[in-house]
Amino acid sequence: MKRQLNVMMFSWEFPPRVIGGISPHVYFLSKALAKHGVKVHVVTCDFPGAPDHEVLDGVEVYRIDSYKNPSPDFATWVYLMNMNMQREAASIASKLPEPIDVFHAHDWLVATAGIGLKHVFRKPLLVTMHSTEVGRRDGLHTSTERMIHETEAWLTYEAWRVICCSDYMVSHVKWAFGLPADKLSMVPNGVNPHIYDGLEGQDLAAFRLQYALPTEKIVLYVGRLVYEKGIHILINAVPKVLAKTDAKFVIVGSGYMKDQLSNIVKSMGLEHKVLFTGFVDDDSLAKLHKVSDVSVVPSLFEPFGIVALEAMAAKCPVVVSDTGGLSEIVDHDVTGVKAYPNNTDSLAWGITKVLTDDSYAKALRVNAYRKILEKYDWDKIAQQTRLMYERVLGEYSKSFWA
Amino acid sequence: MRAVIFSWEYPPRIVGKLADYVGALATQLAKAAVATHVVTYHDTLTGATQEPSGVEVVRVSNPVQTHISLLTWALTLNQEVERAAANVYYHNNKHVDVIDVHDWHFIPAAVTLKHALGIPFVYSVDSLEDHRSPGADLPFNMAIRGIEWLGFFEAAAITAKSDWMQSEIVKLYKVPPEKIDVVAPNANGWLKGILKVYRKATEAKGT
Repeated sequence: MKRQLNVMMFSWEFPPRVIGGISPHVYFLSKALAKHGVKVHVVTCDFPGAPDHEVLDGVEVYRIDSYKNPSPDFATWVYLMNMNMQREAASIASKLPEPIDVFHAHDWLVATAGIGLKHVFRKPLLVTMHSTEVGRRDGLHTSTERMIHETEAWLTYEAWRVICCSDYMVSHVKWAFGLPADKLSMVPNGVNPHIYDGLEGQDLAAFRLQYALPTEKIVLYVGRLVYEKGIHILINAVPKVLAKTDAKFVIVGSGYMKDQLSNIVKSMGLEHKVLFTGFVDDDSLAKLHKVSDVSVVPSLFEPFGIVALEAMAAKCPVVVSDTGGLSEIVDHDVTGVKAYPNNTDSLAWGITKVLTDDSYAKALRVNAYRKILEKYDWDKIAQQTRLMYERVLGEYSKSFWA
Repeated sequence: MRAVIFSWEYPPRIVGKLADYVGALATQLAKAAVATHVVTYHDTLTGATQEPSGVEVVRVSNPVQTHISLLTWALTLNQEVERAAANVYYHNNKHVDVIDVHDWHFIPAAVTLKHALGIPFVYSVDSLEDHRSPGADLPFNMAIRGIEWLGFFEAAAITAKSDWMQSEIVKLYKVPPEKIDVVAPNANGWLKGILKVYRKATEAKGT
């Protein structure tokens, strides 16, 4: 029998350490890979109370000393953390009964650990680029940003293949680092629809009352309150929607625009119609998706758009701006509504359409959920990822490193 | 015996005293029939060259050209040092007896190679952060001291160039004095002393 494929994955976050989207991505991907017969060793940063080593549904999780001395700045911390990660991962990999076949790194945050171990063990390195510095900052303005950009370029150079989660990111990464097109592959990000299944049939009326009157439709926004997420477009659309129908806008998340946004709401005299909840726990968030009538993603820059997928998985209709990864996730008038980016009227029109046309909203829910099962299911994504590993290993076996 | 020396300066790149010292050391080792490789940094003279003495010098440059400090520069350069050292290992039937790392810059690479491939390393101390930046307690200095500490902890053997340096290492890093061999560069039997430390490191590997 062919022995089991042995993969070591590097990620700076893994539950319970959740900072951004990489943590849930690596969590669900590694578990689904394990289900499909791949032995995955996740090496990640430590977290208070989480064990140094545990086995989660067949996934080996190792939490390393993430360098807790004071650091000059975030970027320097990343390199220092990588020094520790590399040391511990080298020790783990060399003691395994079977050698690691593939190293898989997620973003520049684990670049140096992945690159170093690739050369020391002479095994192929696969890289998933979730975002880029030049995209996050809309250009490169400081030495730190340039240093991070060059580290990303180096990581994609050292990678055997580069995976991106949307066609938009494939073309963006190709442009940003001058990569040959045949080095890039698109494997979508996934979503787990099962977390909403348990809420099916539950009476959430009392929960809903905490957020809105029974007569109000709920418009949900989930995301950081920052410029690139376009939340200010949604806030400006509030009176336009209210002119047509009664609704409550529930804004989940936090960010530097918080005060500015609540001042705008106050000046419009609509404080009773817009609720800023701050961060909410996973359970409440899932319930909010279930009780909301529409979920809005008004981003100006969006590499993927996982929030839209989560809403679709929860059978909540979505209105998104037609940009980045969102353009690919949503099929206009079929699985959701696409509004013109940075356009208040277009966004208000989309929200109003969904809130006032029940049969339209229902069709969107059904089609979107079907799309989730078809394309964004973790089992399918794990199978595609596994094929990627096998393809790389096939090529590797003909190289002088093998 | 096959030895790989890590140094951030090596002729023709001369920053301080270390370059000429490591140059002399490599030449003498080669004369004493040690298969000697040097991995060092140079921005433009990259790649492997053979010196008349038989020493193989591999110069690597930093894939990341923009940096915010010496620390980020050194930390990204370590991966290239690892690549060069791993090449030596794999080109020579997966065999390197010892790595000799001079000062802190490439300690992370030596530590990784130790854990990944089981190659022991000697930490050769020329200077310490406490002496280069006396009293400086910024996170920057703490990080470099942390790397030095890691080197003392992980090294199979340590060399100091004077009794004074030995006592400083003991005082500042609480290293047991017997882990540190004093090999003065100007003393008779200098090379013999170095070779003795290399053998000690190689033998310690099995224990």
